[in-house]
Amino acid sequence: MSMPNLAAGPVQRHLLVGVAVIAAFALLPLVLTERYMLGEVIVFFIWAMVAMNWNVLMGHAGVFSLAQMLFVACGAYGMAMGVMFLGLNVWAAIPIAAVASALLALVIGMACLRLTGAYVALLTYAIAEMIHVLIITDTVCFTMVANNCQQLFGGSTGFSRFDDFGFRQLLRGNWVLGNYYTVLAAFAVTVLACVIIIHGRLGLAFRAIRDNPGYAASRGIDRKKYQIIAFAVTAFLTGLAGAVYAAHYRFAGPSLFDFSTLMFVLSMVIVGGLGSTWGPLIGTGLMMVVVEFAKGMGDARNLILGLALVVFVIVLPKGLAHFGTVLAQRLRGGNRPGT
Amino acid sequence: MEIIIQIIVTGLTMGSMYALAAVGLSLIYGTLGMFNMAHGMFMTLGAYAVFTMSSAIGLPLILGIVVAMAAGALIGMATHLLMVRFMLNSPEFETNILVATAGLAIVLEDLVLKTYGGYPYPQPVRIEGIMRIGGVAVTYQAMVILAVAAVCICAVAWLLLRTKFGRAIRATAINRDAAQLMGVRTGTVYLQVMALAGALAGVAGLMISTLTTLSPQMGGDPLLKAFVICVVAGLGNVWGAGVCAFGLALLESAIGFYFGVRFGFPVMLMLVIIVLIWRPLGLFGREKVVRL
Repeated sequence: MSMPNLAAGPVQRHLLVGVAVIAAFALLPLVLTERYMLGEVIVFFIWAMVAMNWNVLMGHAGVFSLAQMLFVACGAYGMAMGVMFLGLNVWAAIPIAAVASALLALVIGMACLRLTGAYVALLTYAIAEMIHVLIITDTVCFTMVANNCQQLFGGSTGFSRFDDFGFRQLLRGNWVLGNYYTVLAAFAVTVLACVIIIHGRLGLAFRAIRDNPGYAASRGIDRKKYQIIAFAVTAFLTGLAGAVYAAHYRFAGPSLFDFSTLMFVLSMVIVGGLGSTWGPLIGTGLMMVVVEFAKGMGDARNLILGLALVVFVIVLPKGLAHFGTVLAQRLRGGNRPGT
Repeated sequence: MEIIIQIIVTGLTMGSMYALAAVGLSLIYGTLGMFNMAHGMFMTLGAYAVFTMSSAIGLPLILGIVVAMAAGALIGMATHLLMVRFMLNSPEFETNILVATAGLAIVLEDLVLKTYGGYPYPQPVRIEGIMRIGGVAVTYQAMVILAVAAVCICAVAWLLLRTKFGRAIRATAINRDAAQLMGVRTGTVYLQVMALAGALAGVAGLMISTLTTLSPQMGGDPLLKAFVICVVAGLGNVWGAGVCAFGLALLESAIGFYFGVRFGFPVMLMLVIIVLIWRPLGLFGREKVVRL
């Protein structure tokens, strides 16, 4: 039987690519020593984690969730509150925050995933926005921090100045390298997990459901069950991204819920290629560079984000990753039909 | 008693504005199968158009409403001609159009912010004064909002049910291919629907801005409420959207009064989710038989 070979091929190939990408980033600080640039790469890791998970959820599992920034915020807030209120160690707070994110996704998923398509998008968006409004309108003081009122969920200012990874004492001048490799580790976990999910059995089930829910159901693949699994697993990894974000910046606040932030990450997924494996990485890098230039041109960030979304959806709905594949096939020539 | 009248007046005023927004949103979804994330910006642009005209030449209320409708209809038609038209036949239309209209929303919001700035201007076109009903002070503006919404919704109902134009829209909504085969110009119908929904959004925006102030983000909150209303009514169900708008607004104002304003929307959303667990296609949604 040739089936196992066919199924095992792409996983190993994509895992190799993943390991190569991670190794390249691990060696990058040898050439790139500027602290500002290393900081930008850390931001890239964090957004790439969120974008890759969104791609798994939306492009492969077919769940159009607009609550992804809610899970980032859950990870960030969970980490901040664990450190500030429960006195947890940073390294213990990070996995706990990620688990909290997955649990939140489980609850939201069980409520929303009876529905499909646009209904899911609208409900997840409404839930995220509701939590946003509840957090910023909260004025009841939970504790006092340095004579300032600190609300249970941070109110309209959020949490800041809590413990970070602790590399400032340990590595002194090179503390940014400590943060770099910590976030890279989280990024590596996400990349490998996404490849295994997309090209493993779970991914096959996701695509079967996305392409033909009726046929998938008739072969024993329960749409709701698999979509809830996808929702919870990607929320765990998205929450992890949020937790390392909070630990790196020592900040967790309601700006994470901004519509423009949601659109920023969505544009990374769409520009890179929805439903591909590596598209979100390309998209994240490209959109970060484009937005950096846009800042120089008189704050045109949102304008460019919006235009990129509209233009790509109309002209290249499968994104740059698909475009690249097609281009590569054309260049190789049409003398090998059927491959 | 006075409290109950107060709750009903607030609920009906909010319900009128939600209904104007939700009916347009639902009409677009029912006909084109597209969810318009930019609908909130249609409202904002309607309100700003009136503000601009009014500061330049000074408008009476009736003309203000006309300007808001015209601005909303124009932006709706422009959206169709410049964007939606090219995507109608794409394979994943439902997802793609959500993304595209969300992109449009953020572009429009940025343009409004850059043109007018973030200053919360008051809307100049409005009526001052109050009257008393059973000991409760009711502003004339609230009465105007109720009247305008009632007229607009009756006009839409008449258009959809009693005219040839409405029959073409309903036919296209039920089955696009069959309507086309019967000689309905579906492209024109789509354009008309976008114009009609845009006009309703423009009026809604004007009404909302008379109660609060103008700001680039003013459409966000009513849009969110309109989403929830459309979902609970069943997407694309225009009548259900109108009924649910008033029902949910009354509920929201009652909860807001007894438990505090910030819990009005969350409790409403919780109830909506419970309703959806019981009826996944919304209160008024009908099961569609899907061939596999």
